[in-house]
Amino acid sequence: MTPHSPGTDQIDTLLWIGFIAAAILIVAVVAGLLYVLRRYRAERGAEPRQVTGGRRIQLRVGAALGAFAAVLLILSIVYTDKARETPLTGTAGLQVAHSEPLKIQATGQQWLWRYDYPNESFSYYKLVVPVDTTVELDLVSTDVVHTWDVPDLAGKRDAVPGKTNRVIFRADEEGAYDGQAATLSGQAYAAMRTEVEVVSPEEYEAFVESQKKEIQAAQDRVVGLIENGETP
Amino acid sequence: MSAPARNPELVVGGFPPRRARWVEIATSADHKDLGRVLITGALGFLFIAAVELLLMRLQLAVPENTFLSPVTFNRMLSLYGATAIFLFAVPFALGFFYYVAPLQIGARGTALPRLGQIGAWLFIAGATVLYAGFLFTPTEAGVNPLAPLSEIAFLPNNGVDAWAAATGLATLGFVLVAVDLAATLRRLRAPGMAWRRLPVFSWAAAICSWLLLVIGPVMLAAITMLLIDRNFEGIFFAGDAGGSPLLWQHLSWIFFTGAYMLILIFALGAIAEIVPALVRRPLFNRGAVIGSLAAIAVVGTLAWMQNMYTAPIGIGWMYFAMIMSLALIVPFGLIFFNLIATIAGGTVKMRAPLLFAAGALVAIAVGLASEMNHSMVALGWRLQHTTDSTAATHFALVGGAVFGGFAALHWWFPKMTGRTMGETLARLSFWTMLLGTLVAFVPLMLAGAEDGQVADAYKFFGNTGVDAYNLIATIGAFILVAGIVMTLVNAILSREGGAPAGHDAWGGDSLEWFALSPPEPHNFDVLPDVRSARPMRDIREAIAHRSARAEQPAAERQPVA
Repeated sequence: MTPHSPGTDQIDTLLWIGFIAAAILIVAVVAGLLYVLRRYRAERGAEPRQVTGGRRIQLRVGAALGAFAAVLLILSIVYTDKARETPLTGTAGLQVAHSEPLKIQATGQQWLWRYDYPNESFSYYKLVVPVDTTVELDLVSTDVVHTWDVPDLAGKRDAVPGKTNRVIFRADEEGAYDGQAATLSGQAYAAMRTEVEVVSPEEYEAFVESQKKEIQAAQDRVVGLIENGETP
Repeated sequence: MSAPARNPELVVGGFPPRRARWVEIATSADHKDLGRVLITGALGFLFIAAVELLLMRLQLAVPENTFLSPVTFNRMLSLYGATAIFLFAVPFALGFFYYVAPLQIGARGTALPRLGQIGAWLFIAGATVLYAGFLFTPTEAGVNPLAPLSEIAFLPNNGVDAWAAATGLATLGFVLVAVDLAATLRRLRAPGMAWRRLPVFSWAAAICSWLLLVIGPVMLAAITMLLIDRNFEGIFFAGDAGGSPLLWQHLSWIFFTGAYMLILIFALGAIAEIVPALVRRPLFNRGAVIGSLAAIAVVGTLAWMQNMYTAPIGIGWMYFAMIMSLALIVPFGLIFFNLIATIAGGTVKMRAPLLFAAGALVAIAVGLASEMNHSMVALGWRLQHTTDSTAATHFALVGGAVFGGFAALHWWFPKMTGRTMGETLARLSFWTMLLGTLVAFVPLMLAGAEDGQVADAYKFFGNTGVDAYNLIATIGAFILVAGIVMTLVNAILSREGGAPAGHDAWGGDSLEWFALSPPEPHNFDVLPDVRSARPMRDIREAIAHRSARAEQPAAERQPVA
């Protein structure tokens, strides 16, 4: 997994911090246990010391642990805030979206994602976005809770019926990014995948336009059939 | 309560049983019989949960497997979650609390025995309802059946109703047992058994009872709302009709997070009994360990929104949950420190309970350290809902309920049956389980953290870099289950065939070792005057002192009360 958005860059850094912190704690516990269990075996024949520890050492250890936790807390607030920042659209991005993010609505439904673009066209399964452009996905759901998860581009977020959740990312490279729904949503949950295709702004414009035309043509055809009294 | 006895060595024979053994147990309101009902039932469901886990792991052994259909997989997953938490881990912990704590405080029974009796049998009733679901259709809504998937519109069959009724009955049972335990610990302590002298495991029992009195009713409320939604056209969790799906998440996560803490408090409480006895040293600092256990119950449960970082809730709530989660580093760290410091300077007798206790500490440390990463908000967005999250939870809870629970089982088995569990099989079982846990869950951590494999899915796709991880995890699950089965077999064999254990099998410091093995229905003929936090040690010294002075050789006396 490689980060391809400013937000996921921050998450990736925090992942390394968390990994190191966890490793320190695990190594401390495992090494400490192994050491004392081997060092103080009954076979060495010494009498056990019937003494207990005082309050002072507890306070010291507690303070050290507290400091460890505080450092982690501060680091994770710093990186979480950075990850939440809305980046500005870059120079290679879609120029319309310079002042504010390109808003696309993502609708979770059993078991397919639908994406609604600003020009009223839409697509299923595949989301097409321009490169170097800040995209704001508004997550909604028509049925159960779904989690939108394209790990290279953004942290995951739930689409909950009756609420709107938001994902912001700015893809730094053209290409296809895979994603998968990440909350059990019924039978076909595991097959509920999605793909984000990052293209140049021109290709994006062309895509939404052609998509709009195709949808319009299809709708016109159905309306025509109904008006002629045929079943579409 | 009685005055200190002149001859605590006095022996009284057992009462002859009046009725068949199973009738005695089925109608008993004795905390020891009911504790054994809870423990035996829990061990049975551990086996069933293990089978369900293996079926799921077989399905996930290779990409796009078709061994189980999606619906069957979801049913296995849902049953596995309910079985592992409601029918194994929580009743297992409660069973030990209910059996041991009254003995440890020198009580002749419990304060509200009928309540505990109803509670234990409600657990059995809940288990029956859950598995009676096989008669029609079991639930397929997941480990935590998130609304609105659990609503009637999306799962119209009776599976979710069976889940709700089953977990509701079991939770109600746990609450009733907790009421009895809390009342017993409050009212029936032996003379001199002040709170400051209460054994750590009894403290854990008290803390967990109070915790259950808080989280149990919350879960019962949520389940009741779910049943109203499903059967009486309620809208509590219906987002489009003015209800809130997030309400279910809040209420259920309060319970699940609290139950998670309960399991860890149980395990650490038991380990804090086992370690001092087997290294022949007092606990390094009792106060710090007990205070830490209490802090875990409060602070840990307050971190319930740690599970909701992806949900549409305010960032402030996420930071609140993160502060609570990270604050847990202090109490957990202090407990680990005190246990290690207890071993240092002692004389380690590496018997089976200590082996399992050490394994539990390692597994819990790995699980909690990765859980710590999940609690950092931005990392939660990346790691939660992946197999890394599944693996972290399993490390902590297999460490707590299975390793820690087995440590408790080996420790108190002599008290319950009068026989010791076979040491060779116990060692074999331990090393198999430890190997299995690492081989099963480390690859899942890597698959989740590196490649983002999602949790709870009935299949995964090839060419996503996780094929090998999943195959290894499946092999590891089989090793783990083989180890678990060894201990179950060991328990069954040792019940009749184990080496006879005296009343004081390990040289423990607390009063349960003063009673016979197994204890008489009334627990103690005479109660000692408790003068310290190590009453059994005081008794042992008093007997040694008196035997040295006595004219008769000590061997002719029975050192049993």
